[in-house]
Amino acid sequence: MLFFRSEELIAAWCKARGVTPRPIVRMDQLWRLAVTWYGTRLEPVSRRPAAEEMRSIFESIGLTGEFWDPRADSFNQVSR
Amino acid sequence: MPEDLPLDFDTKVKVTIYRVTAESGTPPSIEAVAAKMRATLAAIKESYARLRASRLLLLEADGVTIRMAPPFSGVPTQHRVTVDGREYYANCAWDALGIPAALHRPGVVHSRCEQSLEPLRLEVGVSGPEPSTWLFHCLVPAARWWDDLVFT
Repeated sequence: MLFFRSEELIAAWCKARGVTPRPIVRMDQLWRLAVTWYGTRLEPVSRRPAAEEMRSIFESIGLTGEFWDPRADSFNQVSR
Repeated sequence: MPEDLPLDFDTKVKVTIYRVTAESGTPPSIEAVAAKMRATLAAIKESYARLRASRLLLLEADGVTIRMAPPFSGVPTQHRVTVDGREYYANCAWDALGIPAALHRPGVVHSRCEQSLEPLRLEVGVSGPEPSTWLFHCLVPAARWWDDLVFT
C-alpha cells in the first residue's frame, strides 16, 4: 500500500515489476478509509469492519469491483 | 460498551498497548505492558496471541515483539507521521493517514512516491488531508490483505 505522484508513475512502477495495475485511490477516499478503520482504535471498544460492512464502505466512496470485495476473507467477526 | 462495565483482560492489554504507543511513538515491550497491567509475562503473551487472532496485532516470530499495532509500526518505515511534535512510523500509506485519524489530532505525513522517489509532505487536519493530487495504490485485493500483512 503505497503513495504515488501520478497514474503514469503507478503504471511505470507496475510495468517494471510485471504486475497488473490495480484500482487507484484518491487522498480524500483514503482518508475515509483511515477514519473508518482507525478512528476508534485507541478506545476500549473498537472494531474492524466485518466483510459486508467493508464492501459497503468501499462502495460508498466509489471503490467497487472484485478487487474491493473482502467476502472471500474468512475473518468477519467483531473484534475489539 | 457502557462506562461502568469492567473491561476484559484482552481489551485492557489492547488499550495499554495503544495508549503507550500514542504517548511514546513506539509499541511497548511486553515487559512494559506486563508492568503496567501488573500481570505476568505469560498472561500477556497469551493475550497477544488472542489479539493477533483478532487481527489487532502483528507479532514478530518470538510472539512477544509487536511488529504492527495498526496503524502504528514497531519498526521504522518510509511512512513517517508527526503529530504534536512526536514521530510515529506507519505500516503503509493507508496507515499513514490512519495515525492522525486514530489520534484525532492534526499531523504531517512524510513519505515518497514509490516510483520517482519524490518526497511527499502531506498536512492532515482533524477533518482530513489538505487538497492533494497524490494517489494511493495497493497490489493486493481486499480479501487477501491479511495473508501477508507485511507485503500488503
